[in-house]
Amino acid sequence: MFSWLMVVPPVTFLLLLVGYPLIYGVWLSLEDRPVARAGTFVGLANFIADARDPVFWQVTINTFVYTIAATILKMVGGLGLALTMNQDFRFKNTIRAAMLLPFIVPTVLSTIAWMWILDPAFAPVNWFLRNLGLADPGPSWLGNAHLAMMSLIIVNVWRGLPFYGITLLAGLQTISPELYEAATIDGASTWDRFIYVTLPLLKPVIFIVTMFSVIFTFADFQLVYVLTRGGPANATHLFATYAFDVAMGGGQLGMGASIALAMLPPLALIIIAMSLYMKPTKS
Amino acid sequence: MANIIRAASRRDVLKISALTSVGGMLGAARANAAPKSMTMMHESSFIPAYDAFFKNTMAPAYEKATGIKIVYETVSVGSLQTRVTTVAETRSGPDLSMLVFNWAFLFDEKLVDVSDLAASIGKKGGGWHDAAAEAVVVNGKWKAIPFGNIGQLMNYRMDWFNEAGVKDFPDTWDGLLEAGIKLKKAGHPFGFELGHGFGDNHGWLYPLLWSYGGRETEPDGKTIAIDSAETARAIDFCREFFQKTMFEDVLGWTDVSNNKAFLSEQISCTNNAESILYIAKRDFPEIGKVTGQAQNPKGPGGKRFHMLNPLTHGIFSHTPDVQAAKDFLSWVMDPKQAGPWYDIAVSYYAPYLHMFDDAPFWHVEPRNLPYRDSLTTSHLPGWPAPISRAQSESVAKYVVVDMFAKACAGKSTKVVIADAAAQLKQIFKPG
Repeated sequence: MFSWLMVVPPVTFLLLLVGYPLIYGVWLSLEDRPVARAGTFVGLANFIADARDPVFWQVTINTFVYTIAATILKMVGGLGLALTMNQDFRFKNTIRAAMLLPFIVPTVLSTIAWMWILDPAFAPVNWFLRNLGLADPGPSWLGNAHLAMMSLIIVNVWRGLPFYGITLLAGLQTISPELYEAATIDGASTWDRFIYVTLPLLKPVIFIVTMFSVIFTFADFQLVYVLTRGGPANATHLFATYAFDVAMGGGQLGMGASIALAMLPPLALIIIAMSLYMKPTKS
Repeated sequence: MANIIRAASRRDVLKISALTSVGGMLGAARANAAPKSMTMMHESSFIPAYDAFFKNTMAPAYEKATGIKIVYETVSVGSLQTRVTTVAETRSGPDLSMLVFNWAFLFDEKLVDVSDLAASIGKKGGGWHDAAAEAVVVNGKWKAIPFGNIGQLMNYRMDWFNEAGVKDFPDTWDGLLEAGIKLKKAGHPFGFELGHGFGDNHGWLYPLLWSYGGRETEPDGKTIAIDSAETARAIDFCREFFQKTMFEDVLGWTDVSNNKAFLSEQISCTNNAESILYIAKRDFPEIGKVTGQAQNPKGPGGKRFHMLNPLTHGIFSHTPDVQAAKDFLSWVMDPKQAGPWYDIAVSYYAPYLHMFDDAPFWHVEPRNLPYRDSLTTSHLPGWPAPISRAQSESVAKYVVVDMFAKACAGKSTKVVIADAAAQLKQIFKPG
């Protein structure tokens, strides 16, 4: 009885703060629900309209490109960062703390700084290119559709790298040094030690951190909204920003909810995969 | 007789006493019902003195006169619509709010009908401009009281135009293209937003489309009319205008970009509200001296257009005392109050009342006069059709903006029109 009582607060919390918005979102997506007016049930009409909307498919591709590219870069970069930070060097603790800065600074603030960095007139990269006589005025980081997506991915990687770095570093520090010693005695090279000792033992941490990162990246909003608001010509619109524009700007709450819910199936698959992987095994 | 009189008096006394006590009770009830305070929500103004004037002068004056405290709640630029949506959906929060664009239509069911108030304010203020009704009349009812129009006009560097041999701001788009070619060659390109901002893109692209005779739908608001020779000509012009006078970055610009570019002397001409000149005079006086403002150029048909960008005040239907809110709005719009409030913003909000057509604040900075004159040629997106929910969706999806932007980025006119037409057909679907 006492155990049931102890479970009540978290379950109530989950139902109210997670369950209710989710169910309300699903309900909204099944309605023609203009803002500030009563809705009418339309079944799957909003989803059918989304499927016929070319921008929706562009948004889908954008979201996948953004998520896959940013996640791979963060994974590789984060691993490199963790391996470097795992070495002994001077000011190790200070540098480890400084590494967290991009993650600590509020996204909106850091993104405004990036807005200046990517400005064609003030961008340091363009300044170098101009002064080296390589390009004038230099690339348009946010005006060119491909470069704009690339720029967003770079900013996302910059922001997300510390999360990977610190989490993987924590994983690395759980690996017993004896294993490396044993491998070295057996004649394993640095590369061998990385492939046969570090990676297998780090795999569970890499897997979990990647799952979390995919979820955060897939549903990203702030970064895009501050830098491009989905432009140029929808080249950087993601599910979250497009859903927001349609629901808030256009006053079509039902359709906005249906676009936002399109994120649910891929994210649900990822969560299921994660929970299956985390299931304790007897071995 | 005396007895009768006495008796009558007694009866009268009783009646009077009874009525007085009932009246007293009613009076007390009314006094109890009168709100102690009301909240008016506003987006932070580009002109800080405008908000400060309301908070420090108008609100205390109203409290002194009526005993009702007015809370002036400001929200950051760009987040008002989210806040208004929350208030309208939850039916709680502020009693009144600033509304912009077509929100009087979007939120009409949650707004009080203020037609009577509009009639009396209009009568006192010399009548409303026609644009006022376009901004706030929904199904024959005034759903908000128009306060001022934040026009989107041409901002340009008079000195650089002069150096390029362009003495007066060009009267036609073709003339502006010619000037732009010269200015770009001289190292002073133009910069007009073609990205996903919330105002400076629509602000020139809809007027450009209209001035070439193009439109999204016919006046019925249902028949898609974007696929026309007029639209094609507007797109072809826009592509040439972009290629010959601007640079690639404008395709990704948001609303802050053109202000930043103008004030850092990267561009010689853009389309914006009066804020560029205001900020230039305040923070960059040298640029302020040489910044000119002009109405949008005319298209091939000889007509010019502007974007209607109304700032209005609406009363939420959940307010406990509608009459108190109406009384307050009536007081705000009284020339004694509204006049100084317009003054403090130095014509940033162009009044919709004719009595202010030649108000002294227009002559404080004569360069702002085109903003007053643009009101007669200003319309909401979707014109000549009436405002609608489908139209809001079209704006939120940047259908017209992206049609032009994609053409500028290299797609053919035929393809971008077909894309826009397909989107509009889906948005304006029958039923």
